[in-house]
Amino acid sequence: MTIYAIIIATLTFGAIFSVLTLSLNLQYARGGMINFGTVAYFAAGAYAYAIFTQEPPSGLDQYRFGFDMPWYVGFLAAGVASLLFALVTGWPTLRLRGEYLALTTFAFAEVFHSLLLNERRIGNGSVGLANVERPDPTTLGMSDTVGYALAAVVLMLVTAFVFNRLLKSPFGRTIDAVHDDEIAAQAVGKDDARIRLQVFIISAIPIGFAGALYAMITTLVAPAMFTAEVTFFVWIALVLAGEKTIVGAILGAMALVLFQELVKGVPFETVRGAQIAASVEEIVTGILFILVLRLRPWEKLSKRNAS
Amino acid sequence: MTVFFQLVLTGLVTGSFLILATIGFSFTRRVEGFLNIAHPELLGVSAFTTWGLNVIWGWHIIPSAMVGIVFTAFVGLIIGRVVYDPIRALGPAILLITSVGVHYVLGGSVDAIVGTGIRSLDIPLAESYRFWGVRITNYQMIVVVFAALATVGLALFLNKTPMGLAIRAMSANPELAASRGIDVKSTSRITWLISSGLAGLAGVMLAVIATLSTDIAFNQILQILAVAILAGLGSLYAVVAAGLIIGVAMDVSVFWIPAGYRPLVAFSVVILVLMFRPEGLAGKKSR
Repeated sequence: MTIYAIIIATLTFGAIFSVLTLSLNLQYARGGMINFGTVAYFAAGAYAYAIFTQEPPSGLDQYRFGFDMPWYVGFLAAGVASLLFALVTGWPTLRLRGEYLALTTFAFAEVFHSLLLNERRIGNGSVGLANVERPDPTTLGMSDTVGYALAAVVLMLVTAFVFNRLLKSPFGRTIDAVHDDEIAAQAVGKDDARIRLQVFIISAIPIGFAGALYAMITTLVAPAMFTAEVTFFVWIALVLAGEKTIVGAILGAMALVLFQELVKGVPFETVRGAQIAASVEEIVTGILFILVLRLRPWEKLSKRNAS
Repeated sequence: MTVFFQLVLTGLVTGSFLILATIGFSFTRRVEGFLNIAHPELLGVSAFTTWGLNVIWGWHIIPSAMVGIVFTAFVGLIIGRVVYDPIRALGPAILLITSVGVHYVLGGSVDAIVGTGIRSLDIPLAESYRFWGVRITNYQMIVVVFAALATVGLALFLNKTPMGLAIRAMSANPELAASRGIDVKSTSRITWLISSGLAGLAGVMLAVIATLSTDIAFNQILQILAVAILAGLGSLYAVVAAGLIIGVAMDVSVFWIPAGYRPLVAFSVVILVLMFRPEGLAGKKSR
C-alpha cells in the first residue's frame, strides 16, 4: 500500500466518521445525551440509500423492495430514513437520562441490527445488498477514489459548518442553557424535553447522509458492517481528540482511521500475524482511550490557554 | 406440547446461566455505581483460561476451572484498582465510557493470545436424562445448581457477615460509610474480587455448555444488559426472576418465530421496560 493510497483512504473514511463524531459531539457535549446506538442511524441511511437505488428484486434476490431511483433520491432518502429512525427512537426514550438513555439507544441499535440480519425481505439478511448503485466521478474528470474522498470531505465540512451556525444561533444558546441548568431553562419557559428531541433528530440527519456515502464507497451494505463496534469506534474517536470542539471531533476520527489504515498497510506473511496485529491495534486503542479519559490532556491544555 | 415444555426447561437453564453472568454485573453497578460494559469480557477471560489449562496443558477440568475463576477474579480486581478507582470522582458516565476501552483491551488480548476458531473443553460428553418426556443434560443441571448456590451464597454473605454489612453500607452511602470507620478500599477490593469471580464462574459454565469462540464474551453483553435492566439496575435479588424470565422468553419464542430473533426478544423486553417501568422489577429507583 502506498502512502498516497493511505492518505486517500484516511481522508475518505476519516471524513465519513467525522460526520458521526460531529453529530455525537452535538448530542453529548452540547445536549448531554449519551447515544450508544449511533450505528443504527448510520445503517438506516446506508440501507435506505441501497433500497432506493437498487433494481427491483429478480432471481435469487430475497429483498422485497428496490425502487431503481437515481442516486440523489437515494441520498435524500438516507437522510429522511435516519431522521425518521431518530424520531421513533428519540421520542419515547429522551425522558430517560444518562446511562438509561445509553442503554435504550444501544438496545434499539441491537434490535435494528437483528432485524436487518434476520428479516431477509429488507436487504437479503446476512448477505446484504451488493453492487450498490453510485454516481461515477470519472464523468467529472476525477479518479474514483479521489472523487469519493472529496465527496466525504465536502459532507464533513457542510456538517461542521451547519452545526457551527446552529450552535451560534439563539437555538444553540438554548441548547447550552438546557445543558447547563435545566431547571433555570425551564423556569424561563424552555421545554427541555422538546429541545433534546430536536437536537437528537437534527444530529441524526448527517449520520444518514454519511451512511449513504459509505454505501456508495463500499458498494455493499450488510449487517456485519453495522455492529456496535462502529458505535464504540465513534465514541473513542470523539473522546480521543477532546470532546466539545468541532475541530477536535474531526481530528479524533481522522487520527483513529489513519492509525487503522497504517496497521492495515503493514504486510503480513501469515494470517495469524495479521490477526495478532488486529488484536494489538484493539488493545492499543483501548489503552489510549482509558488514558485520555483519565488524564484529560485536552481539558488541561485548554485551561492553560485560557489562563 | 412436549416440545413447548422442553423449550421452557431449556429456557430455565439459559436463565440460570444469565443469572450467573448478570449477578456480578449488577453487583458492580450496585456497589461501584456504574455499568461495566467490560464485565462480559471477564467471562471470556475465565472461559479461555480454563480451556487453555484443560486442553493445552491437559489438566483435569476441576482444577482448571478453579484456577480460571481465581485468575479472573484477580484480573477484575487489578482492572478495578488501576483503571476505575482513580477516575471514580468523574461520575458514572465517564466510568461507563471508560469500560468500553477496557472491553477493547480485554477482548483484544484474548483475541491475540487465543486466535479465532471454535473450541470446546476436553470433558466427557453430556449425559441426558429424561423426566416426563423432557430432556436435561447433567451439565445443564450443574449450571442450575451453581446459579442457585452463587445467588444464595452472595445473599448470605451480604446479610450475615460483617464484610457484607460494610459493602451494603458503602453502596448505600459511601461518605457516611467511610466516616463510620468502614475501610472503603478493602470493601471495594472485595467487591471487585466477588463480581469478577462470579463472572469467572459464569465463564466456566459457558465453556461447559457451549462451544467457545473469541466473540462469545461480547455476545453475552446484550443478554446481560437485558437481564440487569429488567431486574432494575443495581438490584440483586430481582436478577434471579429477571434472568429466568428473559431465559424462558428467549427460548420459548423459538416455538413461534425463527431462532435468529432470540436476541431481539431480549431487547424488546428491555425497550418496553425502559419505556414503561425504568426502575425494573425491583421497583426501587436506583439513581
